Amino acid sequence: MKKLLTLMLSVTLVFGLAACAETATEPTPTTPEETTPEETTPETPTFRIAMVTDIGDIDDRSFNQGTWEGVVAFAERNNITHRYYRPLEGGTAASLDAIALAVQGGAEIIVTPGFLFEPAIFQAQQLYPNVRFVLIDGVPQPGDFSEFLVAQNTVSILFDEHESGFLAGYAAVQDGFRELGYFGGVAVPAVVRFGVGFIAGANYAAEELGVTISLGSDRFDYFGSFAPSDDNKNAAAAWYLQGTEIIFVAAGGAGASVMAAAEEAGAKVIGVDVDQAGESTTVVTSALKQLGVVVEQALQAWLDGAFPGGETQVKGASNQGVGLPADFSRFNNPAATEAAYDAIYPLVASGEIDVPATYEELVAFLTAEGISTANIPLQSDVE
Amino acid sequence: METIIEMRGIRKAFPGVVANDNINLVVAPGEIHAILGENGAGKSTLMSILFGLYKADRGEIFLRGEPVSIDNPNDATRLGIGMVHQHFKLVHNFTVTENIVLGQEDRANGLIQLEEAKQKIIALSDQYGLKVNPDSLIEDISVGMQQRVEILKMLYRDADILIFDEPTAVLTPQEVQELINVMRELSNEGKTIILITHKLHEIKSIADRVTVLRKGAQVAVLDVATSSIADMAEAMVGRPVVFDLQKAESTPGDVVLSVRGLSVYSPVYKKNVVNDMTFDVRRGEILCIAGVEGNGQTQLIEAIAGLTESQGEVWLLGENISDDSIRERNLKGISHIPEDRHKHGLVLDFKLSNNLILQNYFEPPMQRRMMLNFSNINEFSASLIERFDVRSGKGIHTNTRSMSGGNQQKAIIAREVIRDTDLLIAVQPTRGLDVGAIEYIHQQLIAQRDQGKAVLMVSLELDEVLSVSDRILVMFEGNHMGEFDAATVSDSELGVAMAGGNR
Amino acid sequence: MKRWWQRSALAENELFVSSLSSVLAIVIGLLFGFLLMVVVSPSESIQGFRIILTGGFNDGLLSVGSMIVFATPLIFTGLSVAFAYRTGLFNIGASGQLMMGALAATAVGVPQWWRYEGELRIAMDNPFLQLGSWHWVAALLAALLAGALWGLIPGVLKAYFNVNEVVATIMLNYIAMFVNSLVITRYLFNSLIGRAFSVVPTALFPRMGMENIFTDGLRSSQANVSFFIAIFFVIVIYFVLNYTVFGYELKAVGFNRDAARYAGMNAKRNLMLSMMISGGLAGMGGASLYLFAGRNLDPVLQILPQGFDGIAIALLGLGSPIGVFFAGMFFSSLKVGGQFLQLLSFRIEIIDIIISVVIYLAALSLILNRLVLYVLKREKQ
Repeated sequence: MKKLLTLMLSVTLVFGLAACAETATEPTPTTPEETTPEETTPETPTFRIAMVTDIGDIDDRSFNQGTWEGVVAFAERNNITHRYYRPLEGGTAASLDAIALAVQGGAEIIVTPGFLFEPAIFQAQQLYPNVRFVLIDGVPQPGDFSEFLVAQNTVSILFDEHESGFLAGYAAVQDGFRELGYFGGVAVPAVVRFGVGFIAGANYAAEELGVTISLGSDRFDYFGSFAPSDDNKNAAAAWYLQGTEIIFVAAGGAGASVMAAAEEAGAKVIGVDVDQAGESTTVVTSALKQLGVVVEQALQAWLDGAFPGGETQVKGASNQGVGLPADFSRFNNPAATEAAYDAIYPLVASGEIDVPATYEELVAFLTAEGISTANIPLQSDVE
Repeated sequence: METIIEMRGIRKAFPGVVANDNINLVVAPGEIHAILGENGAGKSTLMSILFGLYKADRGEIFLRGEPVSIDNPNDATRLGIGMVHQHFKLVHNFTVTENIVLGQEDRANGLIQLEEAKQKIIALSDQYGLKVNPDSLIEDISVGMQQRVEILKMLYRDADILIFDEPTAVLTPQEVQELINVMRELSNEGKTIILITHKLHEIKSIADRVTVLRKGAQVAVLDVATSSIADMAEAMVGRPVVFDLQKAESTPGDVVLSVRGLSVYSPVYKKNVVNDMTFDVRRGEILCIAGVEGNGQTQLIEAIAGLTESQGEVWLLGENISDDSIRERNLKGISHIPEDRHKHGLVLDFKLSNNLILQNYFEPPMQRRMMLNFSNINEFSASLIERFDVRSGKGIHTNTRSMSGGNQQKAIIAREVIRDTDLLIAVQPTRGLDVGAIEYIHQQLIAQRDQGKAVLMVSLELDEVLSVSDRILVMFEGNHMGEFDAATVSDSELGVAMAGGNR
Repeated sequence: MKRWWQRSALAENELFVSSLSSVLAIVIGLLFGFLLMVVVSPSESIQGFRIILTGGFNDGLLSVGSMIVFATPLIFTGLSVAFAYRTGLFNIGASGQLMMGALAATAVGVPQWWRYEGELRIAMDNPFLQLGSWHWVAALLAALLAGALWGLIPGVLKAYFNVNEVVATIMLNYIAMFVNSLVITRYLFNSLIGRAFSVVPTALFPRMGMENIFTDGLRSSQANVSFFIAIFFVIVIYFVLNYTVFGYELKAVGFNRDAARYAGMNAKRNLMLSMMISGGLAGMGGASLYLFAGRNLDPVLQILPQGFDGIAIALLGLGSPIGVFFAGMFFSSLKVGGQFLQLLSFRIEIIDIIISVVIYLAALSLILNRLVLYVLKREKQ
């Protein structure tokens, strides 16, 4: 007992001393830039490349992870210090805090994945003019979309999701799938584009092969969330039960629910954003945004002193920004499907096939190709 | 002297209290030995140590001259010690036989051999005059018979030391007499009996010797034959006790409470637990509702106080209050000392002053503009504490939970009596209290009567019923079994009515 | 004569003993975190521990502002749970009440709503826009009412059907989650960002010049009036519980419903009122979480954690409103300070571990109480 008392006493002492130290540094908080770096620089290593995550974890098998893998690959190849920072909570203020922290940690270039960073980068690019920002999948705006501003220290990278969706739909039908389905997370523009492209690609392949496919309003839906849940799983299971062979799920983490349903039903899934083959053997392929590739491209440009500040880059098939993973082994007919994919990819890249991005364009595209629009999902289901 | 049990230097402390301090209990074979003490004196702790429920901090136990270690009730059973707990430990939807053999079943090929057991039980019950039907379900038989089942359970396990914990608390006078006969029979057959009780006349009528405990210490070992009840009481309380209540003749005045055809339906029992009760209580008298526990007294009082739904009418001072809320009834003139002081009478987590204002916190001067007026509250509480001699460690700031039962009850009485209402209801006001506190409370009730209040009391203790009340109303299964004059009625008349006999 | 500083006198002071056990929980939790840091990275552990202790003061007034912002909803939910607890109710549903409050505040604060004619979705102006500078007050009141309503449901269930409030409130957390998701996606959805519309500036909590105080010259924190509203309610609840007839009744009903009934109190009414107040407090927590710039209610099917944090904070704050305030600030300080651990090679999960240890120990406060008492009462030998 005496020992415990002594222990507690010493703890209190330590605590008290630390508290004293704390109050000693407190009185001069008005000029933190001057004091903080002095205090931290000598002991704290700096990290030149930083990434700020969204509210998810770094291993979310989606945006955070895909982006971070690009950062790590580039940084290790070039032997540059790097680190990711997690904000305290959601919202612009917390993201900005994390960006400020990254700057304090010596970041020269900060990568942020996802359109939710648009308002934060809008402010940060002006607050920290000497730091470069790479905003993936978004364009800086003040939060109310009243203006879009890509400052000279920022590059904004967007994707042609519809092209990625097109390629996935095309490959699936070429491979022999006829009963298709689509689940989106929430009907935000990027997710809608995936779906529109998917419809276009599937119908394009069906026309080519002269087969009929099923991908109507009853097989096109949004979960209303990006999180896995039993409800999502049940919805997918119901579709599989009704004969759906493969579901393209553009819903981030919620994809896990569909994969679980597919595992039970012995059916298939098309993943999204990053190569999700590792998550489940039911994942035949994934409609990629080549996050790692574009991050490395941007970082390379920065290292070369050719940072494309002020630009909004759209990454599509034409610059290897979208596509399917190289591994086709899970398809029914790997060789034939890969060949068909390799044949169609240049057409998409060159613009010969102008993949539709909106529902109106989709209708126009199908009509121009002479494909009936009778069996595609209704506009109200898609947008 | 030959001994069968010897507990030497037993000490047992719980956080904050020494329950047993250097107790030496010596019991001879075949003896009926009583353990006497007020609530909290350490009787139950001592017996729990003997029965293996607690482990003593210090001290030794010798059985038949051999030192033994009793770590759990199984050890006790193996050593021939049995215990009848105050609250029976029976399985209600099992038969008598099944309950008795529970845990000691004879098995053959994995099947329980109940027939043999039944024969043994019948033999035992004949031998000791313990009338039971081995095939009845426990839920169908009376409390007295349930107690006999508990006794048979011990005998079935060949116990020769039998501990009875407050065995008469739940019995009618006739059942008490039967129990006493059974205990004598057991004693004659060579069994040793330890009787835990705080009822002095029971000890006087049956025990051979008595060990008296007070505040955890052993204060006396008396020979019952040569000791008077007053001697025992003095040893228990530590001062001389007045037994005869000084009580003037009652002079009943106007009717204060008038109950007309009151019934309470219980959805649990699917019948009226209070059935068509009609009676009056007048100024200057104490009417006592007598009866064995669970015969509708509780529900009757709840119906009068407005705590439960009822049919029929309740009139107070000539006004029909049947549809009034509890608060309205209280304000119109009912004070209520409830049956369960912990559950209904006090907010144990409140400090004392907050409990003392539980009936008038909403009235000036305790509140002003809906704000509690602490100076007035403290003044009021302090005056009550002083006037009613409520003893507590930190005065009005005492945590109520930490107070003794007697002082808690005094606090409730102070709170209710000070309201100066025309009707005072007191349900089992002395339950679980020591002799000193009981004396005080009885005096308070009589003082209220003498001030012209109508007092309605419920009690299960026949002694109390007879000594305090002016009139007695007996309830049995919710029915009015007749009213008696307390001065002239005999024990057996009441006993017959309490058991549901004809008027 | 016993002096107050003597051990035996201190042992009798319940507030002192229980406060000390809370402090002990915190100290042990911090120590555990320190040991963890020593294991992870010995060379940085001292510096890391200093960052944790410095907490919300790591980045001067700017992070103090962040600490205030983060603490506000926690103080509200902590107060909600503590108030319910003091009146004998265990409100596990602060999260649901908070979500309903957040939804109501957002619904009042957004520029437009969607309405439907058949399948057709049509934009309509939010009528609350006309309130002008009182807009945020309306949003706050809406949050209060929504939370109160969400608290009233388990209150009614308990009062009239004897449904345990723990079960009912847990259930209502899920219902709130689904209601949120449904209402947002159907009536308040901004498809550009996949979340509810942003609240218009008039509906944001006024910052009252705090942006000039809690700033590092470059950026300002979002500190706003909601912090003072939280403090105001801390004082109000403290006052109600300790000084009013109403609070006396609530506590009596809470500690012993039967005795309160015997004393003529309307236990049912008090119980429902108590749950309503508790829910209203949590609801305002929801407003404080979303009525500021750069936050949008998310239709994601997830129960917001602030309500559960509120349980921990109420526990650590010993169920007293004042204690809740300090516990909320402490939590927030740890969380905000923990961010700065990222400058070293630590992950901010260390902060979560410390907080978890503190909560566990606070939950075991009885044991710590005993320990404190034992040490205080130990006689000199």
